[in-house]
Amino acid sequence: MKKVSSLSGLGLGEDVSRAFFLPIQQAPPPSPSKRRTKISVVGVGNVGMAIAQTILTQDLADVLALVDAKPDMLRGEMLDLQHAAAFLPRTKILASTDYAVTAASDLCIITAGARQLPGESRLALLQRNLAIFRDIVVPLARHSPDALLLVVSNPVDVLTYIAWKLSGFPPNRVIGSGTNLDTSRFRSLLADHLEVNAQDVQAYMVGEHGDSSVALWSSISVGGVPVLSSLEKHQISYEEEVLERIRKAVVESAYEVIRLKGYTSWAIGYSVASLARSLLRDQHSIHPVSLLAKGFYGIPDDREVFLSLPARLGRGGVLSVAKVHLTEEESLRLTRSADTLWEIQQQLGI
Amino acid sequence: MKKVSSLSELGLGEDVSRAFFRPLQQAAPPSPTKRNTKISVIGVGNVGMAIAQTILTQDLADELALVDAKPDKLRGEMLDLQHAAAFLPRTKIRASTDYAVTSASDLCIITAGARQIAGESRLDLLQRNLSLFREIVPPLARYSPDALLLVVSNPVDVLTYIAWKLSGFPPNRIIGSGTNLDSSRFRFLLADHLEVNAQDVQAYMVGEHGDSSVALWSSISVGGVPVLSSLEKHQIGYEEEVLESIRKAVVESAYEVIRLKGYTSWAIGYSVANLARSLLRDQHRIHPVSLLAKGFYGIPDDREVFLSLPARLGRGGVLSVANVHLTDEESAHLRRSADTLWKIQQQLGI
Repeated sequence: MKKVSSLSGLGLGEDVSRAFFLPIQQAPPPSPSKRRTKISVVGVGNVGMAIAQTILTQDLADVLALVDAKPDMLRGEMLDLQHAAAFLPRTKILASTDYAVTAASDLCIITAGARQLPGESRLALLQRNLAIFRDIVVPLARHSPDALLLVVSNPVDVLTYIAWKLSGFPPNRVIGSGTNLDTSRFRSLLADHLEVNAQDVQAYMVGEHGDSSVALWSSISVGGVPVLSSLEKHQISYEEEVLERIRKAVVESAYEVIRLKGYTSWAIGYSVASLARSLLRDQHSIHPVSLLAKGFYGIPDDREVFLSLPARLGRGGVLSVAKVHLTEEESLRLTRSADTLWEIQQQLGI
Repeated sequence: MKKVSSLSELGLGEDVSRAFFRPLQQAAPPSPTKRNTKISVIGVGNVGMAIAQTILTQDLADELALVDAKPDKLRGEMLDLQHAAAFLPRTKIRASTDYAVTSASDLCIITAGARQIAGESRLDLLQRNLSLFREIVPPLARYSPDALLLVVSNPVDVLTYIAWKLSGFPPNRIIGSGTNLDSSRFRFLLADHLEVNAQDVQAYMVGEHGDSSVALWSSISVGGVPVLSSLEKHQIGYEEEVLESIRKAVVESAYEVIRLKGYTSWAIGYSVANLARSLLRDQHRIHPVSLLAKGFYGIPDDREVFLSLPARLGRGGVLSVANVHLTDEESAHLRRSADTLWKIQQQLGI
């Protein structure tokens, strides 16, 4: 059966346009300084497509390019998005197994990688994804040397380090989705308990996106009211154990979704679209994302390790890292998170 | 491992709230006339979830209820949406295998049903879906006797007829997604060829959502310029055959996506969210949707058949059917479409 590509393939002539439109005389070409915003998404699995579709619905790009190794799946996903043209602002949607389709991207989002299996720790995925990244990052960087790179594939911290090394990009232009979503889960748990909007719960989870993540309890505030000191003021007791159990519940909730529906997609889609908006629209919002953490919070200058810290994001990528006050306990945990990741990176030999 | 439901189960007390918030004295309860907008989605497969997620992103409801027969998948999907709380307006998201969760819905969207297999015609699905609807529609109607019912499952025209019969609702409150998406695909193809925004291409496909759909060529206009008469005016020849091959390409494009990626999801998600907006926000927009067509366009009064016609939609459901001028050819095609559907319905014995 015929592929449905262009109507000209079905016999509708090029001259049909002139029945509708008359060009303006002596019209100059569009100004070269006015560019269109282009986002490329590598990997059209559940995560990649949830991201692509959310970006489309939220009207964050003028051009959206999809890349994957599987041409049929790729074409099917591209058509499924294009068919919604009557319901969306006009966005050019391209797809190819060839990285040339990503040329001149403003933002490249990498989701390609093996799906995390139930019970499999994020670190066990590493070896499988390392080889894949060699095939992805090098052409991506070559075709869009000025792009921002956003890594989503797990284990995100180490893979962001790998993407940084393979791309040759400056560190402010390479980030990982990190604990942006963990933080959202953390905030929604707290918000649900307090019956307040999650966006009014300021809370960060930092460090590794995984088992050794760090919940910054001392920095949580709701409507300007800091949590821990407020509980103390009202003589409401809480046990460290309860706090740790809540942190574990956040880490566990991702595994729970995987166990129940096979994978996660929607939440990470919204999380990454939120990062895309902050970056491309120069929002200067603070997000906990995986970045080159050496020199911050007591992490040694010679430890080129990526982990999540609250960072101010904008068109130039990471603009700065927020100076959150950490308790000794939190500092210790962060250092431990950095050590864990550093040990793993050592084994990579990059 | 413990389910992550409420933080109270993890040891965070109810009294924590009072560290943060104090109620106003003598506060009155919310006005009973101010209701939440509630949408229920039946079926959390690819189509149901694409619809639910698009509705969430486009902020169309205050409350979203999900129903399915598979409790694990259902809970997983609910959690995946809830985890995005930090990135979305606050929407209450609930899920249950029990239809009680849908009570007092403003709009119920039925997507449950077997997935259309590559090569399988939409009509082949019918028997599989009929018994399913017997379990879905009566409880749905009982819990939300004033709701609008929107059927998406295929074959949509006959299943919308079935839903109407099983619900006992007046016909203006039951519609099928019908050719709303076919029309978008049609408009996308034309818009792509003319390099114009698809929203400026006014074109309808009507009749059966399927092989016997009818493209209303005589009613297509772009920027106010009617297509066929304009082509004639500019002496640009076109063959009937070309028009028919374009129509077939639209019908075929759904099958193509299914062949390539296994199913369709994104486009139907946007299509249905678009209908939800027109209905719940009383937009009075015209959409081609499957409705009780008896008495329109020469379809006999005693033929209780559902098929797509351009209809004005609003909070009361179908407000009216547009009086599009059909050529003799198009009328004949429409009646043929009606006959096809009528014959199938006869075999149902409802």
